[in-house]
Amino acid sequence: MPSPLRRPGGRFRQTIRPEFAPWPSFFPPPPFSLLSPCILSLAMSATTSALRPYLNAVKASLDASLCIENFPSQLVERHNKPEVEARSSKEDLLTPIVVSRNENERVLIESSINSVRISISIKQIDDIDRILCHKLTRFLMMRAENFVVLRRKAIAGYDISFLITNFHVEQMYKHKLVDFIIQFMEDIDKEISEMKLSLNARARICAEEFLKHF
Amino acid sequence: MIGHPGASPAHLRGSSHLGAFPHRSVFSSFPLTSTATMILLEYGNLVLKTILKEHFANHDPAKPSSLSHNFADFDGVQFNLATENTDRNVVYLSISWRCFSELASYNAVSHLEKIYGPLVSSPRPGYDFTLAFNMSQLPASETERDELIENLSLLKRHALAVPFERAFDAQLKGDTLPLMQISYRNEESIWIKTDKDRVTVIFSVTFKDPADIVFGKVFLQEFVDARRQTNLQNSPQVIFYPEDAPAELTGVKGIVTDKEKKKSIGYVTFVLFPRHYDAVKRQNTISLIQTFRDYLHYHIKCSKAYMHSRMRARVTAFLQVLNRAKPEVVADKRPAAAVGGGVRSFRQF
Repeated sequence: MPSPLRRPGGRFRQTIRPEFAPWPSFFPPPPFSLLSPCILSLAMSATTSALRPYLNAVKASLDASLCIENFPSQLVERHNKPEVEARSSKEDLLTPIVVSRNENERVLIESSINSVRISISIKQIDDIDRILCHKLTRFLMMRAENFVVLRRKAIAGYDISFLITNFHVEQMYKHKLVDFIIQFMEDIDKEISEMKLSLNARARICAEEFLKHF
Repeated sequence: MIGHPGASPAHLRGSSHLGAFPHRSVFSSFPLTSTATMILLEYGNLVLKTILKEHFANHDPAKPSSLSHNFADFDGVQFNLATENTDRNVVYLSISWRCFSELASYNAVSHLEKIYGPLVSSPRPGYDFTLAFNMSQLPASETERDELIENLSLLKRHALAVPFERAFDAQLKGDTLPLMQISYRNEESIWIKTDKDRVTVIFSVTFKDPADIVFGKVFLQEFVDARRQTNLQNSPQVIFYPEDAPAELTGVKGIVTDKEKKKSIGYVTFVLFPRHYDAVKRQNTISLIQTFRDYLHYHIKCSKAYMHSRMRARVTAFLQVLNRAKPEVVADKRPAAAVGGGVRSFRQF
């Protein structure tokens, strides 16, 4: 039974323009009744694909997913909760999408009628990456209050999660919000690799300076 | 390129006039590098130097002031600087260190007597070694007083130098000594092995934090690799053994064998040849190698502090991007720029 509060069939046709659709136009839209994640993989070959198409795919998917509206709780009067977190009813949830660049880097987009949860898995090649990534994401999540759309805790299997509700979209420009997520994904990789480089550089300088004095 | 957040390291490696009091000859070969290298740690104790300098400057022979200070140094060293109520002219400098009994077994006391001469006094209760000097017999000139202060501040360095001196002397004579162990920290030790042609110094290095384990490995690997540089060919060879102790330490008591505990331990070996401890270089080599562990940890902490400041900057940058998504609220009909481009911020809904 479709919810009486949802306009039948209208939500997707309304927002997705063909040039932004995350799937090729000759494919039928994915069956949203299925709750298994729809996986959009860019890593067709063994070599890692370039960053730009990956970010474009995430951007297009976010653009499509961020079609959310106010939706008070169906169970409790005067409650208004992000359905993607509350999961109070199956029919309010959409099929999650995974956009993956390779096995390490992927984005999970879970949408619902009034909220979207975006989880990012950040590239981690070795122990140093893992430590740096952990430090950085922890640092950010401790400041989630300032970031408004940042979730205090990441979803299992991912490094950092965002929760965007209809209120956020109403108060902020949607395209700029999407830009923020994209910029975030770009910069966090850059930041980690720069931190790693500076660690190595400092280690080298320290070792040389110490041994030079013998 | 690399920031030095926080306090800068103590960087003056000894004043340029080490030596006269009480035995000039002992210090005559001490390295005198006046170049300030920000990156290395200082060998002496800065607290001790500061207190003594002030005390000497304010000394009034008619009315000597009292002293009572407890302070620490690296590697769990506790210092006590005090006067007695009966005679405030006599200042006692005492040191307490968990490895002092081991050092004493390598003739540390007689070695320190050679350096400090008449200053050596019987240890005060609760301490391992004590120096005493009389304020009424201070050297007259400023430079001699500075030398005295400098020498006193190097007490810990001279104590730990004993086994190194012993090993170097033995090797140069062609003797081999049994493995010497100095358990200078609760979980860490230095071992000194004397061979026919070389002296091997082995450090065990432990890390408490899982992040430190990883950072420590990066740093130690660089110590190993640094020797490939052409200008560092003459520096001692460094070998890093993560987790498992090197073959030199087989059969030594207290080596960690527990699989989980081993993960936070590494062993670093410095191979020293006679060219590193000839008459000219010996004192410098001893000082430098003693500070190895503290130097390593100091720079690991520095790099963590640097990362922290980077992350702060990154958070600010991200917030700026996010703020762009928020429409400018125009309070009145004036154009947005005229409102003053005020601080934009978010409020929780």
